[in-house]
Amino acid sequence: MSMGHLPAASPSLARLVQELHKLPGIGPKSAQRLAYHLIRLPEDEALALADAITSVKRNVIFCQDCQNLTDISPCSICQEPRRNRGQICVVEDPLDVMALERTHCYDGLYHVLHGVISPLNGVTAHDLKLNDLFKRLESGTVEELVIATNPTLEGEATSMYIRRHLEGRAIRITHLARGLPVGGSLEYSDDQTLRRAFQGRQEL
Amino acid sequence: MPPPLTYHCDALILKHIPFGESGLLTTFYTADRGKVRAVAKGARRSNSKLVGHLEPLTQARLTLRRGRNLDDVEQVQVIESFGALKEDLDSITNGFYVAELVDGFGSENGANHPLYQLAVETLHAVSGDTGPYLPLRCFDLQLLNVSGLKPELYRCVECRRELEPACHRFSPALGGTLCLDCHPADALVMPLSLQGVKVLRLLDRSSPGSIHPLRMSENLKREVRGLLEVTLEYWLDFQIRSNSFLKELHRESRPAVYT
Repeated sequence: MSMGHLPAASPSLARLVQELHKLPGIGPKSAQRLAYHLIRLPEDEALALADAITSVKRNVIFCQDCQNLTDISPCSICQEPRRNRGQICVVEDPLDVMALERTHCYDGLYHVLHGVISPLNGVTAHDLKLNDLFKRLESGTVEELVIATNPTLEGEATSMYIRRHLEGRAIRITHLARGLPVGGSLEYSDDQTLRRAFQGRQEL
Repeated sequence: MPPPLTYHCDALILKHIPFGESGLLTTFYTADRGKVRAVAKGARRSNSKLVGHLEPLTQARLTLRRGRNLDDVEQVQVIESFGALKEDLDSITNGFYVAELVDGFGSENGANHPLYQLAVETLHAVSGDTGPYLPLRCFDLQLLNVSGLKPELYRCVECRRELEPACHRFSPALGGTLCLDCHPADALVMPLSLQGVKVLRLLDRSSPGSIHPLRMSENLKREVRGLLEVTLEYWLDFQIRSNSFLKELHRESRPAVYT
């Protein structure tokens, strides 16, 4: 990035702009705005932000069981005694765990893959936490695997890969229902969604 | 007069990545504009009218609004969702393979209508009755043809003599078959059997949607596939990732190349 417009007397400011520009969705102008905002912040607030970043990088690890991001391993969800240890819900990323936890309708454990199989974007099965999942299932205590990958083509491919890998194993494999979203509209729904919604219709 | 703010095009969705809070940066190959990248704002929200319409391997009619850097997707109408193709992992990976090659060989602002038609025809054909092998190999060869890289299959590319009905060799860098008498200083030369030459000539005369079923030994299949794979990767200058994934599923090895 060109730094010609920044004052030559402030290499630390130039470095901050450069670092902020590396963040996703942050262009050079936004990086400059954020940098000037940080300069204007009271010192304790700016240092709190720096401390939070340092702390995240130093303390956050993968949970040894579910591979979710955590400060302690096993994570708080895996340690909860009330959890049903016979059920594992497979999700794409940690934000999906938070979304499912908000619903209060699932009390099993999780497994976070940290992505989906997407050869077009250079992601194959080896780049995901799939081997950790298969090792976890070898204990024999898991009765049901709930696959909750997103209903995208890559999510479906990942779900099929897991199913193929576990073929012949005595584990019930389910996936979340497919169909119309609450507040959606038939008119704007795509063919695949409508087809699946129709296939999965239920008695009233 | 400035160009209109919006325009319409028929396109094959190739891939997308998350963009911003809830949008998608979508790459698609259009019939009359070549490869286009555009932003679909809010398309990751479950109540977006665009959700589901922009999945990879979908043929759609798009309405786009011109932007300063990237255009915005305004409306999408699905023409063909290739439902049968998305039913199992092998078919999906075959679809990814087609999309990856179209992405690799297609250029932005370079319309190539035959390439668009070839991709759509192949996606229809790979989930058909003949099985995916022949339509995909036909796609490989026709992709080279429509990209201006048609390989020579009847003469030696070095001495220009017509090939005798015998075993030969193939050089991706020189662009076709070599007779056994010629030994150019080319590092990448592959063996090519007489049956292999015949299959390549058949693929050259056919299209993915109309190729007739052919009885081929596993060795011959591997030879033709390997030769086309090395040729495509030579021009692309990168390894075809979806192909590696498909091989991983079937535990196959990479083709043999000798110098």
